[in-house]
Parts: sequence; structure tokens; C-alpha cells
Amino acid sequence: MLNIEHFFILGILLFSIGIVGMVSRRNIFIMYMSIELMLNAVNLILVALSHHYADLNGQVMAMMIIAIAAAEASIFLALFVMLFKNARSLDANFFDLLKQEKHND
Amino acid sequence: MLSNIIFLILAGFALSSSAFMIYAKQPINAALAFIVTLLSIAGLFALLGGGFLFLVQIIIYAGAVITLILFIIMFLNIKEENLPVEPYKGRWIIAMSLLVAPFSAILISTVHKMEFKALHLQEFGSIKDIGIEIFTQWVLPFEMISILLLIALIGVVILAKKEKENA
Amino acid sequence: MIESSMLAWIIGSVFFSSLFIMLISLYNRYDKTIPRVLYTFLGIGGPFISLLLSAYLLYTQVSTGQNITFTAFTWLNIEGFMVKASFLLDPLSAAMLSFVAFVGFIIHLYAHAYMKEELAYARFFAWFNLFMASMFLLILSDNPIMLFIGWEGVGLCSYLLISFYFNDEENVKAGNKAFILNRIGDFGFLSGLALLFINIGHLGLDFGSLEANIHLIPTATLSLIAFLLFVGAMGKSAQLPLYIWLPDAMAGPTPVSALIHAATMVTAGVYMVARFNFLYAMTEDVSLFIAYIGAFSALFAALIALRQDDIKKILAYSTMSQLGYMFMAVGLGAYSAGIFHVFTHAFFKALLFMGAGAIILALHHEQNIKNMGGLKKKMPLTFAVMLIATLAISGIPPFSGFFSKDAILNHLFASEQYLIFSMALITAGLTSYYMFRLLFIVFITPSKEEKPLLPQSSLISITLVVLSVGALFAGFLNLPVFFGGDENFSLWLNLPDIRHHLSHQTELILLLSNMLIAGIGILMAYVHYAKSATDPSLGFLNNWLRNKFYIDEFYNFVFVQPLAKLSHLIVFIDEKVIDAALHKLAFGYQKLSYYSDLVQNGNVRYYALYMTVGIVGIFTYIWGVTQ
Repeated sequence: MLNIEHFFILGILLFSIGIVGMVSRRNIFIMYMSIELMLNAVNLILVALSHHYADLNGQVMAMMIIAIAAAEASIFLALFVMLFKNARSLDANFFDLLKQEKHND
Repeated sequence: MLSNIIFLILAGFALSSSAFMIYAKQPINAALAFIVTLLSIAGLFALLGGGFLFLVQIIIYAGAVITLILFIIMFLNIKEENLPVEPYKGRWIIAMSLLVAPFSAILISTVHKMEFKALHLQEFGSIKDIGIEIFTQWVLPFEMISILLLIALIGVVILAKKEKENA
Repeated sequence: MIESSMLAWIIGSVFFSSLFIMLISLYNRYDKTIPRVLYTFLGIGGPFISLLLSAYLLYTQVSTGQNITFTAFTWLNIEGFMVKASFLLDPLSAAMLSFVAFVGFIIHLYAHAYMKEELAYARFFAWFNLFMASMFLLILSDNPIMLFIGWEGVGLCSYLLISFYFNDEENVKAGNKAFILNRIGDFGFLSGLALLFINIGHLGLDFGSLEANIHLIPTATLSLIAFLLFVGAMGKSAQLPLYIWLPDAMAGPTPVSALIHAATMVTAGVYMVARFNFLYAMTEDVSLFIAYIGAFSALFAALIALRQDDIKKILAYSTMSQLGYMFMAVGLGAYSAGIFHVFTHAFFKALLFMGAGAIILALHHEQNIKNMGGLKKKMPLTFAVMLIATLAISGIPPFSGFFSKDAILNHLFASEQYLIFSMALITAGLTSYYMFRLLFIVFITPSKEEKPLLPQSSLISITLVVLSVGALFAGFLNLPVFFGGDENFSLWLNLPDIRHHLSHQTELILLLSNMLIAGIGILMAYVHYAKSATDPSLGFLNNWLRNKFYIDEFYNFVFVQPLAKLSHLIVFIDEKVIDAALHKLAFGYQKLSYYSDLVQNGNVRYYALYMTVGIVGIFTYIWGVTQ
């Protein structure tokens, strides 16, 4: 029988896939989309919970998250455009200016 | 019975397309796979009785956000040499999934222990109810999100302007 | 008991003059804008005031027969441990005070004439006066703690004055040697003092209370205390085995040798034993040990002096020898005889050193007697004075040394310590022999070349004459009954001497034998040295005597080298082991931080990876805990 538990498991799996994608890939677009995937997984779990407890707050929260994700998308992509214009590369490993300098002791 | 089948189909689509998304080399392919994932999730929202949310997901997420991503990908005119070289992509993915596996296993086992009622599939979140909810209890976050969108708008305009000056 | 603050001012006068000289001279280093007469005024005025005060107090004590005390302040008052800065003038300290103040003042005048040309005149008088202050403190203090402060003070000033010409490294080494050996003695003294304090300290630490309560200590501890206190005296008064600093101490200017290493500091040990007579009377084995040490030191020093060529070193060894006599006396219970010998010895030994200083000055700082000769015609006054002093030290009547030495020898014989007596008798003969050897070689024997002499300052001559009067007549203060006297000195001292009775016959025999031995010594010296200054060969003993029995080399081998090796070893451990470990630790930290740095590679992906690892870890832990 279909159980609410299956929705939770699905949400957890999608979240894990999002983490794996975030950490493994070097392409910044893929990384960004993995982040969005994580957000969606959380949305799914929220809505499932809201259905389970017959509380509408969960759905409203999910909507807020969608709105925030939209705002964040615009900023992300503007930054990607700038980065690409400057470095001509989409490699996340390329932007390592925060690196600790090597000491010559 | 029907709900089971629908759930399994949608879940299968979501998992497989997200797996393909993180494996894809070209960003366009990944974005398209991501659309499939989003639509599946929208379907799952509908299954859970969130009618309004199903609409919002499709319109905003799959309609606006992904469109924006596709637009930027095509705008940047990515050539083969601009893409990063990822020699060990497969190994990294496998290693990371092994790393994250305990995490998900723990969460799933925790969830497994919870008590759940059976599923009532009915219309749960109609537009009217959600509207009332937003404008009575959630009015402050609603307004703040509108300001946030304004800020994002202004920020992007400034970023674009700076870019023009540099060029 | 009379209370008089003048007692504290005896010490205070010289102490403050020393302090003022130090402050003024610190104020202008080598500027010479301060007229030297100011330093002279302070440097001689201090001891002069002390002399006047001492004379007055001495007169008061003798005429009224009462002790004079004064408590300046309470220094320490911790639970069960009270030390007051209190002073006592009883006959014993009055006896010491009399000659210390007088001889000290005379030698200050002499020192002014001697050190007139010195650049560091002020420094000299600062230390010299500080020495007088410490010596007064030592003599006048009422409890052993204050005595020890004075004891340390004289040791310090001895070091400062021996290495007065510090630009020459040898002088500094000699000063170090004196101070270190003194310190070894002080360690013994302090241990003895600590034992005293542990046992009866809570009943009061001044000499009166100690005397009253000394019977409360068990005999074994008592012997230990007596022995340890004597170790301090061994170091201070240059007896075997802690004597090696005294010949080297002659590196200091001659007034220093005259005052410190002849008359005053070296007699502090004898004074201490006399002060603690209540302790030594109860521990006969330690007292006998003291007497034996004195006998051996006397003989040992006399033997070495036979073949020394430096005029001051001969006198140094003779001081050690005479100190042996004093310890023989107090060791066998004749405290008055010992103190009397201290008294007369101060006069003639200071006289000998001052005369030697006059000769050294006149001959442009020449100290080797083999380079002197025939000075009788050129320095008649010095010759006369040295002759008096030499006769006194050899024990020829009616000079002062005769009476004191004779008293000691009689007591030794009457105590039935025949070994000690025979050693003392032989030493008397050797004493007259080597002292007259000195006199003959310096004054009578014609020298190889004629040297021009510097004129002698009249101040030096005056001081020599004044002291010679003391050397001549001091003996009559303690004329023994045999000669029809009353032994006024011993009577006045009132120390618990052990009295032995000898028949008049025995006394006469002893007297004649003493004189005979001394006479033989003089005669042999005349035979050997009146014509030429070469020493007759003694066969294999020649090198042994000349090199002081190689004791310095022996000590170096046994004590100094192993200590040096030990300290090298410890330095090695410190540098190579401890420091190296710390360096490796620091280096290890640096390496650790270097490798930890690699985590911060600026790559956001990796940061996300670290976060993921952390989250997984925490979740696993929580899950593990909840199982």
C-alpha cells in the first residue's frame, strides 16, 4: 500500500542525489542544478508532512521556498555570466583565489 | 491502486532523470533532465493534494527558473573547450554516493520507525485556503519575499552594469 | 646591663661612611670633580668615630664590670622565630672590639698612604669601611643569625677587595677562590645553625638563651652541630682542608692583607668557637678534632713557608700557622689563651704586613725576597719594626707573642695531648726559622744589585711605630702567675677555661724548652742565610715544599675537573636533548600546520565535501548513540 513513508524515502533519496551531484562535479551549472534539486527534495518532504498532519503551513512554506529559489537563481546566473566572461572557463576548480599561499620556510 | 502506479511512475521518472542530470556532461542535457525531474515532482505534489502548489511549481520552477538557466547556457555560447575536463567523474560520483549512503540510510531507518496513517488522496490545498493562509498568518514573510525579489532584481541590474563598464 | 645606642653606632658609623662613599662615587664616575679629600674624610672619619665610641664603651665595660646591650629593632617575627637586631658587649666581644677598632683605624691611615695614587681610591675605601662594618656586626651581635650576617659580609668584602685590581684575571680568580671556599664553610655553618634552630630555636635564639637551653639537645646532634659550625670556621680561618684561598688572597693590595687576612677576618673563626664555648665544652670529641686540625694546619703551613719566595705568601702561611695555634688552644678548652693569642697576633701580624707593604712600595712593587737584600741600611725604621714583629712571632720574651704562645704551649702539655704538643713545639721552631729567614734575606744578606728606593711616606712610618708599641707591650696585659702577674686579661674575659695545674718546675722546664727551640730556629736561620740567600737543599722535599705539597693540583684533580665535566655533561643534555626536543616539537607543529594548510585550497567544491563529511559523521554518531 502506498504510504506516506514512501514519499519521505523518495525525498531523502533525491536530497542525497543532490549532495552527490554538488560535490562530485566540476561544472558549475551542474553544481547549481544539484542545489536546486536539494531544494525541491525538501519541498517534497514538506508537502508530504503537511498532507500527513492536515496542516496547511507546510504547503505555504514550500511556496516561500520556491519564491526564494527564483530570486537566488537570478543572482547565481548573473554571477555565472560574469565569471565566464572573466575566466572563459566553467571549471569550479579554477576559482581558488581563497587558497592559502605556499610558505617557503 | 491507481495512486500506487502513478506514484511509482513519477518516482521512477524523478530518480532516473536526476541521476542522469548529475552524470551529464553537457549542461543543456542536464538542464533538460532537470525539467523532467521538476515536472515529476510537480506531479507528486498534485498526488499529495496540493493543487495550487502543483501549478506554482510548473509555472515558476519549470517555467521561469529552468528557462532562465537554458537561456544563460545558450547565451554563453559554451564551446567544447570551455567545459571543464572531468577525468574521474564516474569514480567521484560512486565514491560520494558511498559516502552519503550512510546518511540516507540513517534517515530512512529513522523515518521507518515513525507511525503513519494511510493516505487520503483528496483535494487538500485549494487556492482559496492557501490564499487565506498566506494573507493572514504568513503575510510578513510574504512581504519580505517580495522585498527579496526586489533586491535580487536590483542586484542583477548592478552586476550587469558593472559588467558593461568592465567591457 | 647598661643600654646604650652607641653600640649600634659603632657599626653604623662605618656602614654609613661606606654607603656615602658609594653613593657619591656613583654620582660622579671618573669625573674627578669631587675632591679626593672628601673620600678621605669619610673613609677615615668613619673608623675614627667607631674607634672613639669603642674606646668609650670599652672603658665603661671594664670600669663598671657590666655588659652593655642594645636592641635596635626586631628584624623577623614569624611564629616561633624571632630575630632581633640586638648587640651585646661582654668581655669577649669587648676584647675583640678593642683590637679590631684600633688596628683597623691604624691600617685605614696606612691604606690612605698606600693607595694615594690609585684611581679607584673611593671604591677601595667604600669596601674597606663596609668590611669594618661587617666585622663589627660579627663581633657585637647578640645572636648567631646576626653573627652570620656579619660573617657573610666579611666574606663578601674579602672577595671584593682581593679582586680589587680586577683588570688582571688572576686577581679575579683569587677572589673567586676565596669566596667559593668561604661559601663551602658557610654551608656547614648554616647547616649547624639550622640544626640549632630546629632543636631549641623556639626558646630564643640569642646567645644567652642558647647557653641556657643547650643541654636539651641530644649529644649526637650536639656533636654534629659543633662539627658543622666548625666547618664554617675552617673556611673562614683558613685551616685544613679549606685553606687554599689564603695564599692566593695575597693578590689584593697590602692593606687588605694586613687588615683582613691577618688581624680580623681570619680570626672570626676563633671568635665563633669562643662564643659557642658552652657548646664546645659539652662535645669533647669535636673539640679534640678542632685541636688536631689546628695542630696539623700549623705544622703544614710552617713547612710550606720554609721554601716560599714571595714575601706576602710567607706571611700568609705564617698567619695560617698561628691560627692553628689559636685553634689548638680553644680546642682544648683554653679559650682565654686562644683569644689572647688572637689579640697579640693582630698587632704583630698587621705590623709584619705593613712593613712588607712598605718594602714593596719602596722597591717599585717587587715582592720576591730573592730580589731584595741589604735593606737594613736604607730602611732602618722598617728594619727595626720588622725585627720587633719577628721576635714577637717567634716567641722571644719579653715581646708579646712570647706570653701568648707560652700560655698555649703550657696548656697543651698540661692537657696531656702530647702529640699535639710536640707538633706545636716543632712548629714554634720552624716559625722562628722561616721568619728569620725572611728577615735575613730581605734586610741583612747583601743583594745582587743595588736598586734605587722610593722615599717612604711619613704616615706609613708613623703607623708602623704605633703598632710596634702594641707588639712590644701587649703581652703584659696577661702576665701569667709564674711571672708574678695577675692574668688580668683572662680574669676579665671570664670564659669557662679548663684549668690545669702544673708544678712550677714543669712550667720552668716548658718555658726554657720553648725559648730553646725558638733560639735554635734563629741560629739555624742565621747560619743558612746571613751570608747568602740561597736555600740549602732538603733533598726530595725541595719541590714538595716549594709547590705547597701540590695540594692545589690535587684539589683541581679531585674536585674541580669532575665538576667541570659534570657541568659540560649537563650543558650537553640541556642543549642537545632538552632544547632539541623543544625545537623538534616546534618544527613538528610547523609541519603539521603546513599540511593542514593544504585543506584550504580555495576550492568551494572541496569545502562542500568537507561539510558533507562532517554531516555524515555527525549523523552516524547520533545514530550510533541512539542504538
